[in-house]
Amino acid sequence: MRRVFIPITLAAFMLAQPSLAKIDTGAKVSDMVVTDANGMTHNLSDYTGKRIILEWTNHGCPYVKKHYSTNNMQNLQKQTTANGDTVWLSVISSAKGKQGYLTGAEATLKNIKRGAEPTDVILDPAGVMGRKFSAKTTPHMYIIDETQTLVYQGAIDDNRSANPKSVQGAKNYVLAALEDLEAGIAVQDATTSPYGCSIKYAR
Amino acid sequence: MTRLFGIIFCTILIYISTCLPTLARQSLPVDTGKVTASLISSHDSVAPGQSFYVALRTDLDEGWHTYWRNPGDSGEPVQINWILPSNMSAGDIHWPLPKPIPTGPIVNYGFEGTPLFPVEFIAPANAKTGDILTLKSEFYYLVCKDVCIPENGTAQILIEIGDTVTDDEWREPIEKALELSPRKAGVNGAIDNANNRIQMTFTDLPKGDVSKSYFFPYPQGVLQHSQPQEVQIGADGLRLETAPDYLWDEGDIPKNISGILTYTDNGIYRGVEVDLTVNSTVDIGAISSSKASPSIGDITVWSALIGAFLGGIILNIMPCVFPILSLKALSLAKTAHNDRSANRKSAWAYTIGVLTTFILIAIILVIIKSTGAQIGWGFQLQSPKIVGWLAILLFVIGLNLLGVFEFGAGLQNTGASLTKKDGFAGSFFTGALAVIVATPCTAPFMATAIGYALAQPALIMFIVFIALGFGFALPFLILGYMPALLTILPKPGPWMVRFKECLAFPMFAAAIWLVWVLSFQAGANGVAIILTSTMFMAFAIWLFKAHAKWTKILAGLAICIALSLPVTLSPSAATPSLDPVTAQTDTQIWSQEAVAQNLAQGRSVFVDFTAAWCVTCKVNERLVLNTKAVQTLFSETQTTILIADWTNKNDVIASELQRYGRAGVPLYLVFTPKTGAEKGIVLPQTLSYDVIKEALEN
Repeated sequence: MRRVFIPITLAAFMLAQPSLAKIDTGAKVSDMVVTDANGMTHNLSDYTGKRIILEWTNHGCPYVKKHYSTNNMQNLQKQTTANGDTVWLSVISSAKGKQGYLTGAEATLKNIKRGAEPTDVILDPAGVMGRKFSAKTTPHMYIIDETQTLVYQGAIDDNRSANPKSVQGAKNYVLAALEDLEAGIAVQDATTSPYGCSIKYAR
Repeated sequence: MTRLFGIIFCTILIYISTCLPTLARQSLPVDTGKVTASLISSHDSVAPGQSFYVALRTDLDEGWHTYWRNPGDSGEPVQINWILPSNMSAGDIHWPLPKPIPTGPIVNYGFEGTPLFPVEFIAPANAKTGDILTLKSEFYYLVCKDVCIPENGTAQILIEIGDTVTDDEWREPIEKALELSPRKAGVNGAIDNANNRIQMTFTDLPKGDVSKSYFFPYPQGVLQHSQPQEVQIGADGLRLETAPDYLWDEGDIPKNISGILTYTDNGIYRGVEVDLTVNSTVDIGAISSSKASPSIGDITVWSALIGAFLGGIILNIMPCVFPILSLKALSLAKTAHNDRSANRKSAWAYTIGVLTTFILIAIILVIIKSTGAQIGWGFQLQSPKIVGWLAILLFVIGLNLLGVFEFGAGLQNTGASLTKKDGFAGSFFTGALAVIVATPCTAPFMATAIGYALAQPALIMFIVFIALGFGFALPFLILGYMPALLTILPKPGPWMVRFKECLAFPMFAAAIWLVWVLSFQAGANGVAIILTSTMFMAFAIWLFKAHAKWTKILAGLAICIALSLPVTLSPSAATPSLDPVTAQTDTQIWSQEAVAQNLAQGRSVFVDFTAAWCVTCKVNERLVLNTKAVQTLFSETQTTILIADWTNKNDVIASELQRYGRAGVPLYLVFTPKTGAEKGIVLPQTLSYDVIKEALEN
């Protein structure tokens, strides 16, 4: 009986609940309460006045490994947060039992081991934040400016490969966007196609 | 020990495969983990200057997939790097036809099973017989199931120059792959972004079924891969509608977008390559059908049947059917303590009455549909004549229940004798009457099923209606076979007379409701006509009580007048005055332009597709829409309410209902600046404050 009900219910509610609604680049990010690896809650709006970089991550994903094994991601984290006005949040939207899922303690330990220094790790096993941002891949990068406007979303760089060698010489879209912001001009590549593994959402 | 031997053996194999050229038309297979890959060739040996194909053959483990040239929301395409003799070059990959692979909310484009990736080569013209061409490939693919693994490997294949000899084993699979690989076939296409909806239009379609077509774009960022593509078929072509992605936001969109349009031909899944001209449309003629595309939640015959069946059962407790069913309950109470086989017969007679009526309705629908008219469920009550006759019928039944008169033997087949006769005819006509009165109620589940049925060929439509009928009759069928349930009822006695009389009042209430419906359809005059009819009917019944011959003739005459008066009823010219959502909020008449206008002013829109005869609509209006909470919600969210009144026949409304896969009312839509005017959010038929709130705030 349940198998029968599902298609009907699906048909009835399909249009009522779009699976991934995207936030357009240039749109304001509304209030969003998230929980970090220490169990503390933050509202994204608390960071008004600061820049926020969101990094969707999954330590088991080859594309994420590419950026951590080459220290590319760690360097980017240190470089961008050095000024103190930028907050880097690594977000884990893997559901419990799926690849990439970590508890708060595991996530902290993982970062110590690999020398990663995000400001905080956000745990999103229910996928609420991921779906709200329409995050699709790991890595998937977002930049929110001081006025809580989404100014960049997409890939970390322009080499869409899992091969660690491809980090060298790739154009890093996050750095480019930050440079545009520093120069006071509009971000030139404000939206790009993210690449990587699909996020292991709860179904 | 055996393991060590295995390792040595493998090492030797690898050594042979990379170092010793063997004249095989298949390279040694390379197991890269989740995939076993090899190169295969269409020819064993070729003449100088001749063209031939070499394919990368990948055999994927069960449940794993690799990716198309546009991998969709995530992933990475299959890649082949050729290392060739200096005077040779490789052609492009002839990509196999991809399919959408959903993972949670993410949709990828890729392959499962054993996809082949053929590439064309041309043997150097200056090659000599006996030369050997060494074609080496480094390949790479991301293979995913729940997790993703990048895998790579190398393989080489050797082709001899000499006579043309095709390969027995691999020529055929390669030719098959080439045949199924989409190519251009003269299909015209265009793509446009209007009101934040992508419209892709196609003409000069290939032969085959395009009702489940899907477009795979080559570039990313054109359309949101995770959103369904809605199919509309026109007289001269096809339209697909879906959500745009970021390329449209910044004017980065190229002038042409290429991709693959899929279809099925004789059950085979196929595709053609199409170049879409950006920011234009091609004329596809009159739209004939609309259906959501395969990726998500496509309703099948089976789910339509089950939906219809469940809908039928639920119809029993809908307010419009209840009075009639109390009649049936009464007749069962009479027989409850009698004869079991009589109970069964009567249950079956009732069922047959229900089914016959549903089939009759289906036949009428088929006939009307074949004339090209736009109709839907509840159409019977769109005619004021039928509403009038029904009101008279219910009034007469009410009088009969009250004991004003008893039917004579000669009238036993009129259908109103049902309470008097426990026989076949009585039960049969109860069933028929129940269906007719049930038509204004659309139960949950039923709406989708009937909406589906109306868009299908006649046969499927009949089957869906029969399923609906069986569901509707089921409760009484069960009672017929489980008399134990009936013994719960008290013993027959004087209470039955009182109970019967009491049932007259729901009948009168139903008649009043029909007259009220009529007042919207035919105005005050219509009400006067129908009340006059009921007066003539009552007069006839009174005359029948006298036994003189002339009174009977006069009575017959009165009945004729009573029944013919409704014929003069016609829809009043006045615009619909239905005003269901009455409170202070901004209420307007629905039109597509009105939706767009309100959105342009930054307002949200709630559309109420309703009809005076639709009881579900009335219940929703009373219990939800007209409540203070919802009205406040509407004014706080700056929402305009648009009323689409389907009490009378209206083709524009009917086609709009059809666009959402519905055959009848109610239908509730919410448009916000986010959704755009093209496609609203469909709310469930049973409304609640939370549902509306969520839709408006989303």
